[in-house]
Amino acid sequence: MIFIQILVNGLLLGGIYALISIGLTLIFGVVRVINFAHGEFLMISMYISYYCYSLLGLNPYWSLLINFPLMFVIGMGMDQIIIRPLRNAPAYMQVFATVGLSILLINLVLFIFTGDYRAIDLPFAKKVVQVGGIYLNYPRLIIFSATVLITVLLYLFLKNTDIGKQIRAIAQNRTAARLMGFKLNRIYMITFGIGSGLVGIAGGLITPVYYVYPTVGVYFVLTAFVVVVLGGMGNMIGAFLGGLIIGIVDSLSGYYIDPSLKETVYYVIFVLVLIFRPSGLMGLVGAEEMGMK
Amino acid sequence: MREPKAYFPFLLFLLLLLFILLVDRPFYLNMIFMILLFAGLSGAWNILGGFGGQLSLGHSAFFGLGAYTSSLLFVKCGIPPILGMFAGVGMAFALAAVIGIPCFRLKGPFFSLATIAIAEVLQLLAVYFKRITEGSEGLSIPFRPSLYNLTFESRNRYALVAYCFAVFVLAISYAIQRSRLGYQLAALRDEDQAAESLGVNTVWTKMAALLISGGLTAMGATIFSQYILFLEPHSEFSIDTSVNLALISMIGGLGTAIGPLIGSFLLIPLQEFLRTWIGGKYQGLHLVIYGGLLIAVVMFMPQGIIAFISRKYEALLSRLPSFSGRKAAPFAPAPPDIGPFFLQNRDFPQGRKETSKIIEVQNLSKHFGGLKAISHVSFSVQRGEILGIIGPNGAGKTTLFNMLSGVYKPDQGYVNFQGRRISGINKSHALCRAGIGRTYQLVKPFENMSVLENVMVGSFCHERGRKKSMEIALEVLNFVDLKNKKDMLAQEITLADKKRLEVARVLATRPQLLLLDEVMAGLTPVEVQEATELILNIRDYGITVIVIEHVMPAIMSLSDRVLVLAQGEKITEGTSAEVVNDERVIRAYLGEGHELA
Repeated sequence: MIFIQILVNGLLLGGIYALISIGLTLIFGVVRVINFAHGEFLMISMYISYYCYSLLGLNPYWSLLINFPLMFVIGMGMDQIIIRPLRNAPAYMQVFATVGLSILLINLVLFIFTGDYRAIDLPFAKKVVQVGGIYLNYPRLIIFSATVLITVLLYLFLKNTDIGKQIRAIAQNRTAARLMGFKLNRIYMITFGIGSGLVGIAGGLITPVYYVYPTVGVYFVLTAFVVVVLGGMGNMIGAFLGGLIIGIVDSLSGYYIDPSLKETVYYVIFVLVLIFRPSGLMGLVGAEEMGMK
Repeated sequence: MREPKAYFPFLLFLLLLLFILLVDRPFYLNMIFMILLFAGLSGAWNILGGFGGQLSLGHSAFFGLGAYTSSLLFVKCGIPPILGMFAGVGMAFALAAVIGIPCFRLKGPFFSLATIAIAEVLQLLAVYFKRITEGSEGLSIPFRPSLYNLTFESRNRYALVAYCFAVFVLAISYAIQRSRLGYQLAALRDEDQAAESLGVNTVWTKMAALLISGGLTAMGATIFSQYILFLEPHSEFSIDTSVNLALISMIGGLGTAIGPLIGSFLLIPLQEFLRTWIGGKYQGLHLVIYGGLLIAVVMFMPQGIIAFISRKYEALLSRLPSFSGRKAAPFAPAPPDIGPFFLQNRDFPQGRKETSKIIEVQNLSKHFGGLKAISHVSFSVQRGEILGIIGPNGAGKTTLFNMLSGVYKPDQGYVNFQGRRISGINKSHALCRAGIGRTYQLVKPFENMSVLENVMVGSFCHERGRKKSMEIALEVLNFVDLKNKKDMLAQEITLADKKRLEVARVLATRPQLLLLDEVMAGLTPVEVQEATELILNIRDYGITVIVIEHVMPAIMSLSDRVLVLAQGEKITEGTSAEVVNDERVIRAYLGEGHELA
């Protein structure tokens, strides 16, 4: 029984990881930038939800209506201001620029809001439902359902809409897409916006269950890197599955090995995946060599 | 020592040394210690990250490992850190050996991600094994001043140690930059695959850089830990340290030996200033500025400060007096016309063709998924012959070259080169060393190196010394008629010259067999004529040549024999005249029923 409980906990945790990773992998797949500031976008959206609740009394689920558009705009802004001038620069320049933004944002928030741990006291967040002897926490169930929903919606969006098709085309072949007359810069900007908007939703959804503090994003983004590489860079479904796998690994190794070693376990998995199957579970073989220049 | 170029930097370093010995304000001494220590650490990072272009963001792994190794040996076993430092270097070597081979398969940001993960793992382990490391509570190192402990009462001594460390790293950096290793690192930074096919074992070259870089980082870490006398996993293994090392190099000038020192002189005082003046009053604000600075540097001066000051520095030097009697000649030995290199390469009398087969290809096949790129191709080439390979687009010509030069492994069949089976050797650098040189259809010059340096990468395939390698390179440049452009950057020359450079580079590796992949594509008729003469010249010096070409008149007049490929199969083989009149060849090019048109 306890094993199943741990498995379920892992699955629910995996939902969170997957939700955070989907935006990251989308941005990588299309814009070919690894956004090291992705975790800080999560952190900012958690602060938005926190202050919407504590100042305006707005339920974090309602504040998603603010989170998504705001992070969408911030994401587009980042793309245009920081990434655009570096589009053709070597990859390490983009790494540096996004690392710089990450440091800047963490410390800006630290400066404005101090390093205090904050939490919203939502009675709902403590509610638990019991199904066949397994305890399920409501907010985590909501996150998990939202992750599934978002993955499906994103998939449909990419499959059926005009912009979605352009995004997929660019992900597959930039040069061909440019020759077909696509406005690459516009699509990059929109993709960056969507990816950031999605992490905005993630931030809002996890605010009821996690503390809010300036470096919260660092913890999650390192996990998200693992998930994205495991699932295959740029692959949405891969990120979803990767998130679940890492969630389960996290929860199992936390119980059976040692809570303080669980990250070690999945970093080791991460390095092993990078070495033996750098394309990830579902990624294109050779994808790790792209985005190199 | 009489030239400003030599004595001026020497004077600067002497001045710095005097400053360290004479100043007694702790504030300045602390500052100079940090500047010099980080100059050394960042210089160590720069050997891999700058020279080799492998952006590690996990160098704190080496830093933490070095610091913990020497400190634990000191605290737990009483071994003095001056010895423990070398144990730390040993541990760093071990770590480099373990992580190097797998990580170097990764490129660009993936390499960075893997290095971050490794540093994180070490940090977690250092926290976890608290019985050894004291975990998050931190490890205090007793204060026992002695040279053997690298611990001193006076800060002057500390600064002196850091000075020695910085100078040591700088000296090593300069030595590397001027060595075979340095040229090979610069080459693989620009074009991995081209470097590989010029005989650079890219994995081992990166490995050598990582070993040196990691070892030096560990060394600096010991000096640092004996200064602060307290270790804690979250600061020793932190990603901030790694980023800082990279940033210092970047600000100074990535991939230059002196860059990290300049960067450190700018960034460390700025950091200390921001931390004490702003960080004290407003938490986090100094790092906001730091992060903003990082972005600004990347966006507005990616070349680093050195790009701005190097011209001013030269101007300053030119105004300083020179104490040598005569004006120094710039280093440029007159290249001999056709010197010993070509003579020694020629192992048979000019003009005479030997009858032995230099290469024999038997039943070679390669497919990609369902596509048969090459199927059952057999042919052989005589020593001193020129074989032309033609065929429509997609016929498999380049795939064939890729198999002959070790880029792909054939699925079936074999290749014998000088009687030795080479089709199992799936390593371009090994085949280059064995005597098969190739060029690429799309030129891959090392863009940030000069023409001469490009060719030197080739001559380093068999030479170790820089001087000898330069002589060979000049001789080859003379041969291909590029010597008047030797100091230009490879990205600045014309396409025709880039193609010549491609040939020159590979000639410098002293091939027995040369594979030329469309060296004439995109050239003007006059340039084609020149290229034809060049290839004939190469053959006359005893090098067997296989050319892939679409420029028909050229290949027909060049080749002793022509081999025709279409859809991965060999259609025919023969002299130019035989081939052009062959019905199957015409059909392959023009399709069925062409005569009706």
